[in-house]
Parts: sequence; C-alpha cells; structure tokens
Amino acid sequence: MAASELILDLILCLVLLSLAVAVVEVKRLYDSIILFIAFGLILSITWARLGAPDLALAEAAIGAGITGVLLMAAYANLAPKKHLQNSHRSWLAVGFSLAAMVWLVLSLIPLADSPESLVAVAEQAMADSGVTHPVTAVLLNFRAWDTLLELVVLLLALLGMQQLRLPSLKIAYPWPLLNAWGRYLAPLTIVIGGYLLWRGSSGPGGAFQSGALLAAGLIVLRLNHVIPGLSWQHAWLRCSVLCGAGFFLIIACLTAWLGQGWLDYPASYSASLIFIIEFLATISIAVTLAWLVTGQQEAAS
Amino acid sequence: MTLSLQLFLASGGILWLTGLYGLWRNSDPIRRIISLNIMGSGVFLVMVTLARRETSTDPVLHALVVTGLVVAVSATAFALRLAVASQQEKR
Amino acid sequence: MNAALVSMVVPFFAAMLVLMWRPQQQSWLVIVASIVSLLAAMMALLSVIDSGPQSLNLGGWESPLAIRFQLMPVNALLIVTTAVIHLIVVCFAASSHHCQSIKQAFWPLALLLHGSLVALWLSMDLFNWYVTLELLGLAAVSLVTLAGHKALRAALDYLLLSLFASLTYLLGVVMLYGQYGTLDIALLATLTEADRVTQTALLLISAGLMLKAALWPLHLWLPAAHSSAPTPVSALLSALVVKAPLFILWLLWSRVAPSELAVPMGFWLALLGGGALMIGGWSACRTPHLKTLVAYSTVAQLGYGLLALGLLLHWQLNDLQAALWLFVVAHALAKTSMFLAAGEIQASTGKKRLNSLRGMTLTMPVALFAFAVAGGSLIGLPPSGGFIAKWLLIQPMLIEPAHWPWALLVIIATLLSAAYVFRVVSQGFRQSSVSATATEHGKSAQWLALLPAILVWLMALFSEPLLQLMDVFSA
Repeated sequence: MAASELILDLILCLVLLSLAVAVVEVKRLYDSIILFIAFGLILSITWARLGAPDLALAEAAIGAGITGVLLMAAYANLAPKKHLQNSHRSWLAVGFSLAAMVWLVLSLIPLADSPESLVAVAEQAMADSGVTHPVTAVLLNFRAWDTLLELVVLLLALLGMQQLRLPSLKIAYPWPLLNAWGRYLAPLTIVIGGYLLWRGSSGPGGAFQSGALLAAGLIVLRLNHVIPGLSWQHAWLRCSVLCGAGFFLIIACLTAWLGQGWLDYPASYSASLIFIIEFLATISIAVTLAWLVTGQQEAAS
Repeated sequence: MTLSLQLFLASGGILWLTGLYGLWRNSDPIRRIISLNIMGSGVFLVMVTLARRETSTDPVLHALVVTGLVVAVSATAFALRLAVASQQEKR
Repeated sequence: MNAALVSMVVPFFAAMLVLMWRPQQQSWLVIVASIVSLLAAMMALLSVIDSGPQSLNLGGWESPLAIRFQLMPVNALLIVTTAVIHLIVVCFAASSHHCQSIKQAFWPLALLLHGSLVALWLSMDLFNWYVTLELLGLAAVSLVTLAGHKALRAALDYLLLSLFASLTYLLGVVMLYGQYGTLDIALLATLTEADRVTQTALLLISAGLMLKAALWPLHLWLPAAHSSAPTPVSALLSALVVKAPLFILWLLWSRVAPSELAVPMGFWLALLGGGALMIGGWSACRTPHLKTLVAYSTVAQLGYGLLALGLLLHWQLNDLQAALWLFVVAHALAKTSMFLAAGEIQASTGKKRLNSLRGMTLTMPVALFAFAVAGGSLIGLPPSGGFIAKWLLIQPMLIEPAHWPWALLVIIATLLSAAYVFRVVSQGFRQSSVSATATEHGKSAQWLALLPAILVWLMALFSEPLLQLMDVFSA
C-alpha cells in the first residue's frame, strides 16, 4: 500500500518537474503558456493529494484559471514580432542551478522530521473562533490582518493597472457556442460561488475561491457582451471594489475603539461578523479580478 | 510517509529553482512572469507539504498559501499589464 | 499603541475616501490626513518615551497564533519620520506646478504607501511582513509608472525583481516556520539554533531583503527606477521604501539569528556595505544625469546603514544601533530634500543633464541651497543629523587599531560624497551662456524642498534626547 502511494507521489512530482522545466525551456511563448496552464492543473491535483482541498479549489480557479486567461490576454495583446527569443542556454546558469539545488534540497529535507507547527494552538482556539472550518478561522479571525492587507494588495494591483491607461481587452464578436454556453455558465458560477462562500464556515471554500469563481462568471458575461466594460466612473463599481477592505477596516477600528482590541471580535457576534466580511470580500475579489482580466474601459468610449 | 514528504519538499525546492533559472534564462517579460509563478508554486508546495507532517493538517499554512495565491495573482495581473504597456510604447 | 494604529489607519481611510468620492479638492483632504497621521505618530512616540515598549496581539489571540504589533522607540521614530516625509512630499506635490498631471492617481497611491509603511514598522510577524512588502512593492511600482511611458521599462524591471525578492524571502520564512513552528520574531529569538536549515533560511531571507533594499551588489534596479519616477515619488522611494527591508533585516539578524551565525555574517554585511559606499559613490561621481546622481547617492548611503548593521553584528556592539537608525532618519530627510530640489530644477529646465544646472544660483537659488544643505548632512558636516550618526559609527572604530581600516573606508566614502555633492553645487555657480530669468512660480515648492534639509540640521540640536531614546532601546 505504502509503496504504491509512494510511486503515485513520485510520478506526480516527476510530471510537475518536467512540466516546469518544459515551461521555461520551450522555444515558443505560446507553448510555454499552454504548458503552464497544464502545470497549474497538475498542481491542483497535487494539493488534493496532499490533503488541501481549499487550495485545490483556489489553485484551479485562481492559479490555472485566472492566471491562464491573463497570460492569454497578454499574449494576444502583443504584436507577434515582439516576443523576444530565448537567449542561448547558459551553462553557467545550469551549473549554478544544479549546485544550488543540492544545497537547497539538503536543507529542505530535514524539515520533514521536525513537526513544529501551530496545529495544537489553532485547534485549541477553534472553539472561540466563530466558525468550524480551521482554514477560514485562520484567514478571518486568527490572522485576519493578513487577509485585510491582502484585499488592499488586490486594490493596489487594480489601481496600478488603471493608470497605465491601456486600451481595454479587444473583444471580438462572441463565438455562438460561447454565447450559448455563457447563458448557462454564468448563473451556474453564481450558484456554485454562493455555495462555496456559504460552505466556507464549515468546510473547504470561502471568500477567495468563491470570489475567483464569480470573477470567472463575470468574465464570461463580459465576453458575451452581456455586461458593459467596467469603468471607474460607476459609483457602484467603485463601491464594490472598496467594500471588502473598507468594511474590514471599519470593523477593525470599531473593535479597537469600542471593543476589546484591534480585530478582536465580540464572541457572540464573531460568526455573523465573519460571514458579512466574507460576503463583502467575495464581492470585492470577484469584481477586482474580473476587472484585472477585462481591463479598464476608458471614459471617452 | 516521511519518504513521500521528503520527495515533495525536494520537488518544491527544485520547482523554486526552476523558476529562478527561467527568470535568469528568459528575456521575454511574459516568460519571466511565468517563471516567477513557477517559483511561487515551488514555495507553496513546500508549505503544503509542511502542513501535512502531523496527523491533522496545519490550517495556518493552508491559510498562508491562500493569501500567497491571491497576492501572486494580483501581482501577475499587474505585471502582465505593465509588460504589454511597456512593449506597446516602444513602437 | 492606539495612537500608532490611528497613524496607520488614517492614510488607508483617506485613500479609500479619495477613491470613492473623488472630490474636486483632493489635495486638502490628503494634507489633512497626513497632518492627523503625523500628530498621532508623535503621540505614539511620546507614549513610548513615557511608558516604554508596548505590545499588542491582534485579535486578542495568544502569542504564537496571533500577529503581534510592537511599538518600540526605533519604530516609533520611524513612524514619525514616515509621517513627516509624507506630509512634506504631499505638500510639495500639491504646490509644484510640475506635478499637476500626475495628481489624480498620485494621492491614493501615496496614501496607501504611507499606511503600508506604518503597518510594516509595527508588525513583528514574518509572514505579515511578506504581505506588507508586497503592498510596498506594488504601490512603489504603480507610483513609478506615473511618469509615463519612458518609465515603464524601469518599472517592469523593478516589479519583477521585487516579486522575485518576495518569493526568496517567503521560502526562507516558510523554512523557519517549518523548523520552529512560529512566525513571531520574539518567539523565534528564543528558539533558533545554528543548524543548516536556519542558516539557509536566514540567507534566503537576507538575499530577498537585500535585493528589495537595493543593497550593493543587488542595487542595479534602483538608479533606473528612482531616477525615472516622478519627483515626489523618487523622494518617497529613496527616503522610505528602501528602508523597510533594512528594518526587517536588522530585527532578523540582531534578534533572531543565533550569534554563531550573526558574527560571521556581520563581517560580510559590513564588507558589502563598504562596497556599496565605494561603488555607489564612484558611480554618483561619474554619471552625467542629475537625478541618477541622487539615486546612486542613495545606493552609497544605504552602504552606511549596512556597514553599521554589519559591524553591530560582528562586534556585538549594541551602541551601533543608534548610529544605524540615526543614519536612516538623517538620510531619509536629506534625500527627500535632495530629490525634491533636483526634481524641481530638472522639471523647470527640462533637461536631465548635470550641466543644465549652470546659472542656477540666479534662477533657482532656494532649490540649489536646499540641495547643498541636504548634501552637507549626507557628507556628515557638523552639526547635522548625518554628522551625529557618522560620529557614533566611527567612535568604536577609532578605539582599537585593528579597526582602523574600517575608519579609513568611512573617510574615503565621505570624500566621495563630498565630491558628488560639490559636483552639483559647483555647476550651479558657473556662468550660464543662456540669459536666465528668475522664475517666480514654484517658489513654495522650492521652500518645501528646503524644509527637510533644515530638519536634518535641527536633528543635531535634539541629539541629546534622540540618543537617550536610542539608549532606552538598547538597554
């Protein structure tokens, strides 16, 4: 039994590594992008194998899905001649990498036998966290400050993109099949996204997975011309981008001012507070990710 | 169990280095961004493997990976836009 | 502690307000927010002086689980410096005529940068630092792109290197967590041992941070990015953003690293610092462009910080902490002044080259004076903030003859910095071939450029309380 599992793991690792080497080594950029998307999918299988269903969901939606779309969009926006060819293989780089590999692997391997972690502490604190799924408890309660700042990271990426003043993604007349599928896909993503969000308090899922899925739905709708291009002119869009981080920050200040301390939720409200924060964060994440993919609609058009 | 954990840890380290090598070797900005994502995946693989060392998985590391993934996708989106913009202006 | 939190939250809220309501008169809102943040920062500093370091576990969870904030004299001083420089830069951007085009996008980004910096100074958690470093990186790159298409290439390189550095840092952090099961600096400090994993992790973290702080020889991205950015942005980046990784590096090596690793590493860090002083100073003496000269001067001056940090570790001398942080504060103020003055001059002449400065004593005397005064502190002329820091650094070197080579290094570096400052100022005194007319507009911007230079000289007047503050800390 153990031997067969080991062989499975070995195959998984080999596939991952060979895909990664292929991604950086292949000649054409297009192949590299396709291989990278495949790499993302294998990686999400690896997460599932390693007992991390939250991450498998997040990786499939964010890592392979959204990043893949972003790469494709960037590829399409570049003139074909602009793709720089690879420089010649530098044996110096190969040699350095091999030496570094031995050193790094030798320092990583001992970590497998030193089980120092916060598992016990986190399990003890679970009872007071307001949710039953440990990952959600860490994200929105124990280390909520990280999550808050991360919403600001998303906001900053959007602001940075906006003021580059790029032309918005060129969207051709939708392919009939996409049109037909889109009608079913978009509502489906909303249903699944909502389910993931609701489930996040007790099982794998939560704001990020759900937000990424909803973003995918929004992107499909945009590609079908069902919704207009996103623009900073619309107050409701600004509101939905800012509501996640804004509400989170207001809660943080209120808990510091009226309650016991910064982000210290009152015990009786923590479950509902976490749900509201997650709900608003999902909206912010979905709109921001969709916006990052489809690009800014200029005010003039 | 330990053997397969060691295998995944080593793979994580090698993935990180593969990304580093790609960053060094490629001059095209999009390929460099892809290489950075591979580096990130290597780090995440190390994190997820470390989370599995005990009988119950470590939720803190899983949460950190979720945070890391979102940070990575935001940075990738911005970097790709910047790459496109910087090449368009050159024309 | 609450005052420090206010100082952090106000810029975040102001940024969201500006983004949401997009008022016509944004500058007033931003200036008011910066003033409030500065007042709160000063209250935080006073509270630290009164009652000593304070610690706060976010969310009320116990220590290994929660992210911990700590307010110490050093980061209280840094929070005040951050607020002062942001206030000056924001006022400069509001009053300079050359910044009109970038304003709309500048305000929210600058505010978010301010909030992120304070968040980084307060935090004592390795992973939280990763998130704040990403925030700083993204905000800094977005600010650089404001300069338009010519800066995009430099911005892209900056972003890619910054992301690479973050991932290097993150791998090291993960290894430390895997070995010791905590992310908190104070807890790690009690646990670390000098084994292979710790060594590799610390090296990876340091490499990432040194790349982000543009410490020599990982500085190559800095001159392009800082010199092509819009003027107020260059000032913020050079004065504050590169100091953030230095702060983490200091906490990591002086607190977390076991002394078996810290002592030899200190020697190498000091050597790299010496290299930065020489190469940075030499490049600043050679470059034909004004803003690039100022950017190279940042590379050189960061070398002092690294030298102080390295010797502090190598000799295990806690007195050098005062030298390190006074250097950082003095350099932040002086460099703000220099970049604002240089940018204002460059914008009004429209030329990048150094020889376009001819006749500047007549046309823009205040800006040139600001440059010279700030340069005096960079060189370390008494009685400036730069002088006190350099004096603190050089004292332990003079005591033992074995340390004299380091002192020689500092003296050569001082001569180099005098050379590049003089290079700029002497151009200003030369006769200009074109008849120049004094420009009336932009006067207030020039005076604002002078303000931080005056502050850095005032630091000398308050050297006694400043040194006491630092002593409280090292005790």
